Amino acid sequence: MNQLLKFGLVLGIICLVATLVLAVTHEVTKPMIDAQGRSEEEAALKQIMPDADSFNKKAADNMEYFEAVKEKNVVGYCIKATGEGYGGYIRMMIGINPDGVIKGVRILEHQETPGLGAKINEVRPGEKDAWFLRQFVGKSARTVEVRKNIDSITGATISSRGVTDAVNKTVTEFLAKIKK
Amino acid sequence: MKLLGEFIKGLWRENPTFRIVLGLCPTLAISTSVFNGIGMGVAATFVLVGSNIFVSLVRNIVPEKVRIPCYIVIIATFVTIADLIMKAYAPLLSRSLGMFVPLIVVNCIVLGRAEAFSSKEPPLKSVMDALGMGVGFTWALVLISAIREGLGNGTILGIPLSSRFDPPLFMVLAPGALLTIGLLIGAMNYFTIKKHSRD
Repeated sequence: MNQLLKFGLVLGIICLVATLVLAVTHEVTKPMIDAQGRSEEEAALKQIMPDADSFNKKAADNMEYFEAVKEKNVVGYCIKATGEGYGGYIRMMIGINPDGVIKGVRILEHQETPGLGAKINEVRPGEKDAWFLRQFVGKSARTVEVRKNIDSITGATISSRGVTDAVNKTVTEFLAKIKK
Repeated sequence: MKLLGEFIKGLWRENPTFRIVLGLCPTLAISTSVFNGIGMGVAATFVLVGSNIFVSLVRNIVPEKVRIPCYIVIIATFVTIADLIMKAYAPLLSRSLGMFVPLIVVNCIVLGRAEAFSSKEPPLKSVMDALGMGVGFTWALVLISAIREGLGNGTILGIPLSSRFDPPLFMVLAPGALLTIGLLIGAMNYFTIKKHSRD
């Protein structure tokens, strides 16, 4: 009993100190990390819709999206979506034109397995964008489905499906919302 | 002098990659560019130094039976700090290393040094050991990634080497990593054996 108490105490103290140190580090780095996230979002927007003049941030219910504006006309939407992958959530940005045809998909954050699921965002040497995501361009977002018109990544069906389903579901919901 | 010896042994005689052959998973995966190699090496060195100091400081109060959870908590703390700092100040590096930064937790070199060295030795010696291992790991990564990036992509740190040569892509893919590491370990063994037979 005495020994058990000592084990718990030592481990507890170490964990407590570790928690304190991490809490401080988190507080210090949080503003910087948030700023990086925002600038990544902006970079993704520009990549998906290179010809838009400006983006207006909007929100519908719990959906966050950007209106891409060119010469005062809305030329498309960039919607933030979250899919469920193999290693956790996959956050992405989906760009569509007003009819729901995909202009581009960019992964903002993921925790997929390196070498397998992480290939959803793999850029082959000498290329500019991820080969898996390139499949989506030009397809109607409401029709994309793994094994139908999207090839899944070998050994990473769950990750491939996570992205594809999120694109399909998010855009379908989104279009229903703005048509109202 | 003794302290310097603890540092030097990690560079060659007990090099973590080529002699002890630990931590190969991240080595294989991230040595696709010199930039990645340096980043991973620095992050791992930071974690090694931090965890070695603290493991050494608590070595007399941590009971034998719960030592592994204690070490893991200490290591995980430093890994998380490294990950957060990288995300905040070097987002590009953080993105290209991806999952491999959090995975330093399970890098055998770090736990290996805690278990084999710093849990038995005073802090100063442990720091020197960690620095030696860290620098040894870093130079190994830089060498491997320079060969792979140079041959497979025709660049070093993104600077093109020659326009006249068509780089074989497989060098930056998984087979290139296995080939490079295998040949380097073979070469190192050859020289070590040759040196021993001369002595």
